[in-house]
Amino acid sequence: MTSVVTTSKKRKVLIPEEYRPVFGAAIFFLLMMIAFIISAPEVFLTVGIYTAIFLSLPLFTIVGLSLVYITAAGEIDLSFPSIIAISALAFTWTLEQTQLNFGLAVLASLLTGCACGWLNGLLVTRLGLSSLITTLGMNFALVGLTNILNNGVVRGLTDIDDSKFRAILVGSWGPMPAQMFWSAGIAVILGLIFHRHRFGIHVKVAGDNPEAGRAMGVNIERTKTLVFILIGVCSALTGIFAVLLNSTFFPTMGDGYLLPTLAAVFVGGTPVTGGKGTIGGLVIGAATVVFIQTGVVAAGLDGYWTSFGFGLVIVFSLIGHRRFSGKLTR
Amino acid sequence: MNQSTDTPIVSLHNVSKSFGRVFALEGINLDFYPGQIVSLVGDNGAGKSTLTKIISGTEDPDSGGEIIIDSEKVGKWSAALARNRGIETVHQNRALSEQQSIYANVFLGREKTNRFGFVSRKAEIEETEALMRKIGYTSKVWTPKSTVNKLSGGERQGVAISRAILFESRLVMLDEPTTAMALSEAGEVMDFIRDLKKAGKSVIFISHNPWDAHMVADRFVILERGRVVYDAPKGDMSADDFIALLHKFAKKDQS
Repeated sequence: MTSVVTTSKKRKVLIPEEYRPVFGAAIFFLLMMIAFIISAPEVFLTVGIYTAIFLSLPLFTIVGLSLVYITAAGEIDLSFPSIIAISALAFTWTLEQTQLNFGLAVLASLLTGCACGWLNGLLVTRLGLSSLITTLGMNFALVGLTNILNNGVVRGLTDIDDSKFRAILVGSWGPMPAQMFWSAGIAVILGLIFHRHRFGIHVKVAGDNPEAGRAMGVNIERTKTLVFILIGVCSALTGIFAVLLNSTFFPTMGDGYLLPTLAAVFVGGTPVTGGKGTIGGLVIGAATVVFIQTGVVAAGLDGYWTSFGFGLVIVFSLIGHRRFSGKLTR
Repeated sequence: MNQSTDTPIVSLHNVSKSFGRVFALEGINLDFYPGQIVSLVGDNGAGKSTLTKIISGTEDPDSGGEIIIDSEKVGKWSAALARNRGIETVHQNRALSEQQSIYANVFLGREKTNRFGFVSRKAEIEETEALMRKIGYTSKVWTPKSTVNKLSGGERQGVAISRAILFESRLVMLDEPTTAMALSEAGEVMDFIRDLKKAGKSVIFISHNPWDAHMVADRFVILERGRVVYDAPKGDMSADDFIALLHKFAKKDQS
């Protein structure tokens, strides 16, 4: 095919296309931090605020990572907040029943998460239901189930305060909460799988052109089901970290996660249309979102401004990604 | 090539496919031999695409039919199995994931990985580069890392076709490969099909264009309403005779 030479001029690439969303999200994050520092230097130039942020950032990051996968696969999952709650209950309940057998408790929690994700995947891929509606329904059902099983109780776990397990997972490693390292490790693994593993390619193809994948022998249904299971596992991990962090289980555990985590995915530069995504962007997006949550209040503004700030950030970052992606080639 | 002594690569015995009450294919019996170019022609809705989809494993035939590969009946048949047996397809819609890179598309479903499933990008990119050079991608603009959505229609077809020859394919099916192509590009596809034959591969070529179909074929199979109505070697049939034959079936169909 010698004549299929394109006529377009050779373009000078400043930043390779695959890194542009991460780059855009990073610039946005830096601008936001500069704005925070200028508006409240006494808060944002001290360590305290960062310690507070680093406590909760990993929890958003872990579950957010799996949402990049589902978005790239062209589906969505709104049930992860309730999976966080129900797998946190499984963790807590097993701890109570087994006199603090952490291994069993983690296993119970992960299995619960897996089962929920597997059910989501089955409903979406086998019955061809819309993932938006299926997981919305699943979210309600699991919130209800958590309350039925838990009977509206808040479960304190003061016994675990001095446990070695808790120290390893959410203790302090120097000035840094341990969960920062755990979430960084999970981000690296999930990043490698997303960007370098066969599975990551199949996930993106599932969201971009599933027919093409099927024609080339890729099992699109299995791929999507595995992504739903991944969300279940990541939600369970977030639930475990949350219980350990608070030494308490409360049934509303997952409530604050839905919108901020989804926002982190899109602020990070993963398009809502599927077919691609960025794990690095999600990490920056999660930081952006958590900094707004904590920063707005810390900067002395009324808590009501948090939502307002969110709104601005989401809209502006989307505009930014749209313009930025085209602009760095000339 | 001698049809009576060669073992067919693919045989279809009594293959049917119905969608509800409508038969897309009805009792198809066909053998495809090594080194033969079969032009599969027929009107819209005659069942050409359905036939390719069944052979390529993306569509299941109705029960009762048999797919026989190298004189061995296959039980379960899928796209992955078909590719493993050396049957590659260039689908009409090209089956490319446009947001992924050229090399990711070329190796889609057959990634070169280490034993943990991580992709050997360097190896894939190098092989894609060699392949692009081989099929004449002289443009310096596109590299194996370029995403497919930047390519023109002809270039995309080039990627789809090169994917079909990269692996040890024995039977290549091309479903309307020259649709929406410039004449020069279409000419190159026809040259490419002749090259496949020279390399000893067999080809199933589906086209609306009777001149193209006549030019490259060793054998004609005409489908009408899901049935094989003509199946014979080209012999010394001229293009005019072939077109007259097609018209005869088309007229019969209307009466």
